[in-house]
Amino acid sequence: MAVYKRKYNPYTGPLTATWPRFFVLTRYAFMDLFKSRFFVLLLILAIVPNLFFAGYIFIANNKTVQLLMQIRSAEFLSVETQYFIIIMMVQTNVAFLLNCWVGPVLISGDLTNGALPLFLSRPFSRADYVIGKLAVLGILLSAITWVPCLLLFGLQSGLARNGWIWSHLWMIVPIILCSAIWILMLSLISLAVSAWVKLRIVATGVIFISFFIPAGLGEMFNAIMGTYWGALLNFSYMFRIVLERGLRDPSRLLGLMGRHEIPVPAAWAVMICVCLFSLFILNARLRAREVVRG
Amino acid sequence: MPPTIELEGLEVQLGGRTILHGLTGVLKSRAIGLLGPNGAGKSTLINTLLGFHKPSKGSARVLGLDASANGKTLRELVGYMPENDSFIAKMSGVRFVRYMAEISGLPPDQAMERAHEAFVYVGLGEARYRPVGTYSLGMKQLAKLAQAIAHGPKVLILDEPTNGMDPPARKRLIELIREIREASDICLLLSSHLLRDVEETCDEVLILRNGKIASICNLVEERRANRKFLELETVGVEATFTGALETLGCECAIFGNGRIKVVMPDSVEIREVFKVAADRGVQIRRMNHRRDSLEDIFLNAMEQTGVADGRI
Repeated sequence: MAVYKRKYNPYTGPLTATWPRFFVLTRYAFMDLFKSRFFVLLLILAIVPNLFFAGYIFIANNKTVQLLMQIRSAEFLSVETQYFIIIMMVQTNVAFLLNCWVGPVLISGDLTNGALPLFLSRPFSRADYVIGKLAVLGILLSAITWVPCLLLFGLQSGLARNGWIWSHLWMIVPIILCSAIWILMLSLISLAVSAWVKLRIVATGVIFISFFIPAGLGEMFNAIMGTYWGALLNFSYMFRIVLERGLRDPSRLLGLMGRHEIPVPAAWAVMICVCLFSLFILNARLRAREVVRG
Repeated sequence: MPPTIELEGLEVQLGGRTILHGLTGVLKSRAIGLLGPNGAGKSTLINTLLGFHKPSKGSARVLGLDASANGKTLRELVGYMPENDSFIAKMSGVRFVRYMAEISGLPPDQAMERAHEAFVYVGLGEARYRPVGTYSLGMKQLAKLAQAIAHGPKVLILDEPTNGMDPPARKRLIELIREIREASDICLLLSSHLLRDVEETCDEVLILRNGKIASICNLVEERRANRKFLELETVGVEATFTGALETLGCECAIFGNGRIKVVMPDSVEIREVFKVAADRGVQIRRMNHRRDSLEDIFLNAMEQTGVADGRI
């Protein structure tokens, strides 16, 4: 089928392995994303706080710079668990904002003009499709949450010496786990919204609403019923509980350790339920053919 | 080589309704047409063959592969051109086809090469860098064909490929389909409302009606069988004329007003008909040397009641 011959020839060349084909979707999505200057700007802005965090770590571990800057309080500059909680809180909120921009367009573009049957008529399952799209958000949000957090952890370990790394090594697991559940929840909510709502601006609004409206309803429930279980509908709050307990916050930096507190397993269960519900929506929406009942 | 399509008691239910009612049949030709009125179950059958719908009973096989059990393996062999709009509006045509080829398993560089070739082949070479969303309806149809052939499938499934195309574009597309069919060992399944499309491209036809097989017809055999079929308009004594033709081995049917249908055996030439007419003093005012068109076959199938036995 050479261009100049204008003749059809079957393809006889090599084929790629089946399992990594979902990554084609991820690659094309990234190519499309990086065409947008606004996205590049957002991504840079999302990474900028880490430079400040790194600078802080550098100053905290450098007596000369502290003297030059006339900083005297060593307590103020200590880099411990609380510091990494602050990093995580800032970066996960930035991840939420970035997700609100990127997520809504991932699936809606394929659904708007019925491209899904073209994907699914190939050796490509719905699971491959979802994983391919999920990987976009997974990679992107990882790059601004746990990856820089671990790099900062490494920087602190290198600068602090005196066995700091060995006494804080346990932090790596909660940093990765807490980020993973937050990224998974955000990504699945975004994909589910993207599968239902075609307009980006509306979809972004729906993602915001899906976080803030349930939280408001939960607070109303608490106020009316005199309970604290309504907080289960506040997903950000659930994440903070998981993060605080995961990083064993001794100073109660997030102010969550009240007498009436949602148990950590309940917080995990809520986030897992949100993920499952989003998967349920995706399963209902991502079909090669719609079947009208009745 | 296994038959192109085998259906064994295939029943498909969608939304609580039975759409396909126990279809059974074997289609061996390389180019199969799928005909039927709206709601006959053509698209449901195609979707079942692609593994989009699971049969509630029975099975469907394409090239010996069960559509539900070996769906992924089967889809490696398939190129599919859907009936409805199916594209990514913001992508350029060539990037869209390359994307689809990569998902089919072509390495990126090969996919790029094949995408360009496919686009030029279908006649959209000049428009390949434009976003697909800006294409006309006919161009979108061609882009869909390009993505269906770019990865070099063994089975090409075309669902209403000429929808929305003007006559020249339709003619060009039909020519392309015939070229593709003849240039390789590709198997073709073409669903269309336009009998002419099917007649020009297919060797065998599966006619569906109300989710049942109304007919399976081998067009090649039908054409051969009806090669010597004449329609005559005559003036004169019909009975003696037809009697004389029957002595030559012809089969005749008289319809009144001098209209006669004659099926001639291979040994009889048309000039012998003229000779008999001259001998009997019968004037032949009009003669159509025609075969049963697909339209006749289709209309016959639609008029039948009950499930057909697979032949007209």
